[in-house]
Amino acid sequence: MKLIQAERDTLLKPLQMVTGIVERRHTLPILSNVLIERKDDKISFVATDLEIQIATYAEDGDTVSEGYAVTVAAKKLQDILRALPDKTQVTLETDESRLHAKAGKSRFHLQTLPAEDFPKFPVGSEPQAKITVKQKELKHLLSMVQYAMAQQDIRYYLNGLLLLTEDNDIKVVATDGHRLAFALMKLEAPQEKREVILPRKVVLELARLLNDTDESVTVEILQNQVRFSFSSVVLVTKVVDGKFPDYNRVIPAGYQKHFDINRQLLLQTLQRASILSNEKFRGVRLILTTDNLRIVCNNSEQEEAEEELELHYDGEALDIGFNISYLLDVLNHLSGETVRCAFGDANSSALITIPGNDDFKYVVMPMRI
Amino acid sequence: MAIGATQGVIMPLRALLEKCLMNAIKLLPDLLISQIAAGEVVERPASALKEMLENSVDAGAADITVQLVQGGIKLIRVMDNGTGISKEDIPLALARHATSKISTLEDLQQVVSLGFRGEALASIAAVSRLTLASRRAEQKHAWKVQAESGRLSPPEPVALASGTTVEMHDLYFNTPARRKFLKTEATEFSYCEETFKRIALSRPDIGFTLQHNGTVRRHLRAADPRSRIAAVLGDEFSQTSVLIDEQAADLRLWGSAALPAYSRASRDAQYFFVNGRFVRDKLITHALREAYRDVLHLDRYPAFVLFLEMKAESVDANVHPTKIEVRFRDPRALHQFVFHAIDKALATGQPASRGSVLATGDQEHKPNDRGNTDMAINEKAGAEFSGYPRQGVMSLKSYISPEPPAAAQPQAFYSALFGVEDDGLKSAQTVLDIHTAGTRAKEPEVPPLGFALGQLRGIYILSQNDRGLLIVDMHAAHERLLYEKLKSALDNHTLAMQPLLIPATFYADSLDIVTAEENSDSLSELGFEISTFSPTMLVVRSVPVALKNADVVKLARDVLSDIREFGASQALTSRRNELLSTMACHGAVRANRMLTIPEMNALLREMEVTERAGQCNHGRPTWFEISLADLDKMFMRGK
Repeated sequence: MKLIQAERDTLLKPLQMVTGIVERRHTLPILSNVLIERKDDKISFVATDLEIQIATYAEDGDTVSEGYAVTVAAKKLQDILRALPDKTQVTLETDESRLHAKAGKSRFHLQTLPAEDFPKFPVGSEPQAKITVKQKELKHLLSMVQYAMAQQDIRYYLNGLLLLTEDNDIKVVATDGHRLAFALMKLEAPQEKREVILPRKVVLELARLLNDTDESVTVEILQNQVRFSFSSVVLVTKVVDGKFPDYNRVIPAGYQKHFDINRQLLLQTLQRASILSNEKFRGVRLILTTDNLRIVCNNSEQEEAEEELELHYDGEALDIGFNISYLLDVLNHLSGETVRCAFGDANSSALITIPGNDDFKYVVMPMRI
Repeated sequence: MAIGATQGVIMPLRALLEKCLMNAIKLLPDLLISQIAAGEVVERPASALKEMLENSVDAGAADITVQLVQGGIKLIRVMDNGTGISKEDIPLALARHATSKISTLEDLQQVVSLGFRGEALASIAAVSRLTLASRRAEQKHAWKVQAESGRLSPPEPVALASGTTVEMHDLYFNTPARRKFLKTEATEFSYCEETFKRIALSRPDIGFTLQHNGTVRRHLRAADPRSRIAAVLGDEFSQTSVLIDEQAADLRLWGSAALPAYSRASRDAQYFFVNGRFVRDKLITHALREAYRDVLHLDRYPAFVLFLEMKAESVDANVHPTKIEVRFRDPRALHQFVFHAIDKALATGQPASRGSVLATGDQEHKPNDRGNTDMAINEKAGAEFSGYPRQGVMSLKSYISPEPPAAAQPQAFYSALFGVEDDGLKSAQTVLDIHTAGTRAKEPEVPPLGFALGQLRGIYILSQNDRGLLIVDMHAAHERLLYEKLKSALDNHTLAMQPLLIPATFYADSLDIVTAEENSDSLSELGFEISTFSPTMLVVRSVPVALKNADVVKLARDVLSDIREFGASQALTSRRNELLSTMACHGAVRANRMLTIPEMNALLREMEVTERAGQCNHGRPTWFEISLADLDKMFMRGK
């Protein structure tokens, strides 16, 4: 039975959208498959890892046959399509147990699994909150904090990102227990207070899928689920069940010692110094005196890097150590011209913000070297 | 019928209960007391044998013969040529709480003999038919008594050379319940043999013979410790072990510890003696295990014969009925000492057999004639003992002196062997140093691991030194070099602490909480900051930077339980080392990487100066040596 005939990209684009979440190794074979389903003139592609489900559509003008549904190995089909020359016409056909992809003189026969076994999970209907923003705004918001998420931490709720709606704000928070990033965005309409933790994988996937355009994305918070709808994609994820740490208590206020500095300048200086930081500890010392910042790194071979920066600083002298990776992370992901670094004492956390802007805060613990 | 059956069960129970309730408190008969005591002390023939052998050793015997029949169940006969017991004292020897070994509480606290409770013979006599025959040198003939179920026969004359012979017939003949717990003859014999080995190891200066069912199973001549260890545990053990002699303050640890290559699948070859007494101590075992951790595969067990010597008053042997457990006054210091001594020895470790210094040395170990020492119940003994010199590490001269009936450590003999014979024992220099120094001085040109000849299939480096051929596993060796480098780089680094932005809290029991509070200083030395959060919760506020991505709570629990049990924790170091080991493994040269001769030589030179270069991170050996003699043998040259 002929499923579809289309140009390569018509199939490849939606396939690439959904395969990001497909795990390569799975105990359940059907999870490495993509569900291809046709209803009327829409062909939908669905992939899932039982936590996240992504669906997208391909438009197809001609109505070749009646509806169908089949599942096939997602990565393999994607690799085949990608390896075909551009603009090739591809035909997909099925018989009982196989899917045949034909393009020019190439023939591929892939094994299929029954579509009714595909574990699509039910999506709740009643949204508790619904926000519509521009795609590029959401993408930017996530990129400000997502690098601070924990990775495989035993406190599973840290392996994700807190998404929070309150009044006119949408806030995102990520932390790995050593540093915390916070960002917020203003909305037009006031919202009810809602709090969910998005899994790490979803955040990374959204960062990949969202476009830098003014097109809108709709975020719906459902019972234990969150649905993102944008372009032709619908992504549904279960939320992480857990209590995220109270970020308000972690973000310090009223620090008197601070300086403003050009972000690029500080970033480049730290990058240079980091070459000679200990590859295990990644320690760096910041030594602040009046109008002067000295940056010192050394490694286990007793090699040392020393940098000096002139800046405006009139607070008390301070000698404080950090994990240099945590500083590089935040400087790399900000976009503004200037950053402000504020300190308490050598043992309390440091706060990095953008001067004149309360929408971003980054808190990092010092390291006692 | 059903009712009758139920009553049948209930009646005796009720009767028993009534009996218990009605009976007044009364003193137990003497025999029963002894039998209860025997239940703890005499668990099986081997434990009776242990008590009898210890008596002979305490009596200053130079030669001890053990005869067993049916695994010791039918008969255990221990014959020694020690001081013997006078006729008057013989009945006392079999009485409970009668001993010649101590007489006051002070003696007990500083006890140097193996026994001191005065219970052993009485206990054995309570559960068997015991015959004791003994003759002091000055007596014309020996006297013997027989005891059955606690009743003594009057002493009668018997022919015997000077010394004591104790015979134990029919163990548990009067307590059939106990008899049922005995295993087969072969099993009981193997327990007896193990006991025999322990005592024999602890006193190489005494000759031992073991016979079973009329055949001689083991015959150990009085010898120097090294030969004794070889005779008991086999040549392989002594050839693949390093000698240890470490001293710190009042502690001294010496003996042999097998290199990881001679590890065992079970704990069978672990002999640890505290002041000459075999013990199985949790603290010691842990310290040794930690010391071996870096070089030994996880499910292998180290083999060792080690002697720990300390002031008699800093160890309490009166803890366990069979004295297999002891209690130390300063467990933390002891743990550290044992750990570092073994760690150091293994780090530099080369098998002792590769040197010649270890030849038996001047044979100072002639069996001492201590015939006039008194083992038995002698009223004067107490006075003698209190005058006995007590130093932390007892000078060997005092042991050689004929008087004290001590559970003497075989120190003289070890000292002779270890080249620290003058009584000072001041020099804590290890034999290894002497040994390597000696070898180096002789052949300055050829380094121990020789010069590389080439590479075998991209896996092994072939090298020759003055003894023959060396085969080096390139990856394993390089891995160890990198690992040691990473470790020492981190060790030299001051410990960096990463305070947590979001502290980790966890539920802890009150023991853990007290441990955390009491040890906050040593915890912060480890890079940990743990404080009390609530009466049932602890909170971790900082972790060592190297482990910042580890499971903080689990790490904290491990560290706390280690500190509680052993006073110190290696848990962090070992976790860190695991990480480093993986890093090293990935960084090391892989098989099939072609090396040039200068590269290979550089690797060999580096191995020579690196600690623990004999084993890879997983405890496998990194090199083997095939001597010219071995090669000659293969080719039948010179035959």
